[in-house]
Amino acid sequence: MEPRHKPPVYETAHPTTASAITSPAAHELAGLLTHEDLDRAQDRWQVARARLREHQSKLRGGSQVLWLLIGPGVLVFLGENDAPSMLTYSATGARFGVGFFIPFAVLTFLMGFVVQEMTVRLGAITHRGHAELIFDRFGRFWGLFAMGDLVLGNFLTLVTEFIGVRAGLGFFGVRPVWAVGGALLMVVGAIATGRYWTWERITLTLAIFNALFIPAAILARPQWSAVSHALLTWTPFPSGNGMEILVLILATIGATVTPWMLFFQQSAVVDKGMQPRDIRAGRFDTLLGASLAAVFAVAAMLATAPLFHHGINASQYQAAEFAQALEPWIGHAGAALFALGIFEAGIVAAIAISTSSAYAFGEVFHTGHSLNRPLREAWPFYFILAGSAAVAAGLVLIPSAPLEFIVLTVNVIAVLAMPPALAFLLLLVNDRDLMGDRVNGFWENVAGVGVTVLLILAGMAFGLATAFPKLMRI
Amino acid sequence: MKSQHAGTGAETPRAEFAAENQVRPDLRDPKVVLSLLEADQVVAAKWHSRFGRRRLSPGVRVLLWGLRIYVVLMLVAVLVSVVRALHGSP
Repeated sequence: MEPRHKPPVYETAHPTTASAITSPAAHELAGLLTHEDLDRAQDRWQVARARLREHQSKLRGGSQVLWLLIGPGVLVFLGENDAPSMLTYSATGARFGVGFFIPFAVLTFLMGFVVQEMTVRLGAITHRGHAELIFDRFGRFWGLFAMGDLVLGNFLTLVTEFIGVRAGLGFFGVRPVWAVGGALLMVVGAIATGRYWTWERITLTLAIFNALFIPAAILARPQWSAVSHALLTWTPFPSGNGMEILVLILATIGATVTPWMLFFQQSAVVDKGMQPRDIRAGRFDTLLGASLAAVFAVAAMLATAPLFHHGINASQYQAAEFAQALEPWIGHAGAALFALGIFEAGIVAAIAISTSSAYAFGEVFHTGHSLNRPLREAWPFYFILAGSAAVAAGLVLIPSAPLEFIVLTVNVIAVLAMPPALAFLLLLVNDRDLMGDRVNGFWENVAGVGVTVLLILAGMAFGLATAFPKLMRI
Repeated sequence: MKSQHAGTGAETPRAEFAAENQVRPDLRDPKVVLSLLEADQVVAAKWHSRFGRRRLSPGVRVLLWGLRIYVVLMLVAVLVSVVRALHGSP
């Protein structure tokens, strides 16, 4: 239950790193503790113990602290290596082989790290989610715009995750209704624990299977010298249909930098109970997630590169078709790994994105929004989480649903919606009333503004190419 | 309201002392819970206190409106592009 009595704590919120026990309102707060507070305190106690051990043994204690604090960063990046993203990487590998898109994908993960690190600081210092801060600081008018972008993007993306699940298991002959229904049960099962920590560890365990693309890539026998050459020189540059290249560039950016990631990671950092002293570990977590996701993305490109080398037109391929087309070149085992990878990408992203929607809903409507809350205390939160996943899953099973439309647009829409999301992020992370001395430094702002300008330019190029198609044929 | 960033966080020194001397924390004791959390990390404290609205300068307003118009125009471009793709036209 929410606290019924208003404690005379603050007239206006302000971040403080002081312990609650030293607060002038400690006595009132002691009578208003919730289940969520107790679970979070339990997690903090584990971190405190690990920090004590760190004093005794730097290596052992330090690794325990990291083990306890990693989660949101790895989850957000492996969650964003989702079905449409892996499909995008596969399409670039199949269409253009080993070349420009490999270092370009690595660059997009670097961009992703730059912006996601800011959400770690925002969450750890303010203990508020991204949607909550936007509504509080910019008001309802701008908050609703930000939420509109998030809800539209999240729902379309969620649909594509279930398309990925259906296609991935379709390779093994699983009927769509069983594949999608099973995936929905996994989403619900992950939240049934009523504990953030358990949910996070279950989802992390699933997410690590994103590594399935590595053996698939090895079975494709890539030329490592060509990979090194591409990474160093960004060549060969793709040639051919300019519009197709531009859409793939946008989709590759959208496969790494999207609005839901900002909302999700900040809310997860808050739900995990991270504090300012955890920011270094949060940075490591985010860097680890970005690095792992970059390696797995490159692996997906390498796995489908044989289609390019053998001159097979993969421009219209969907997830399962990639696996089937790859079978003659990487064998049945390789194709099965690829299909399983697409399934895993879909299921992990479905869990993360539906949770992101639920967090944002709870933050905006001031209802309980924590995975540490039991169902009876936060049923609207869990209803949105499971409900959004159920609607998206149901849509995938409708025979005449415009799924092709959704798959075509989802990553591009993510890129186009990102500049306003980044503007809010940069304004929040430079807000001294929120962040105190932890506002962005000069170079962090240069990097953040640089990413925003790059996304705007990419979007404008897409807009111009759409309005004047002849431009791309010159 | 100015921020108050003092120290390096909760759970110290009381919590670390407790962590050293106990196998499990006694979470029935509110003092233990409060010692592990920061003051504005407690749900009740967050629930009844909000960050106030910031004053939006003209520059920030222009930026936000510009980006909003950008998104609307780009969504139209996406729609046009998808309709073309679905109908097979260039």
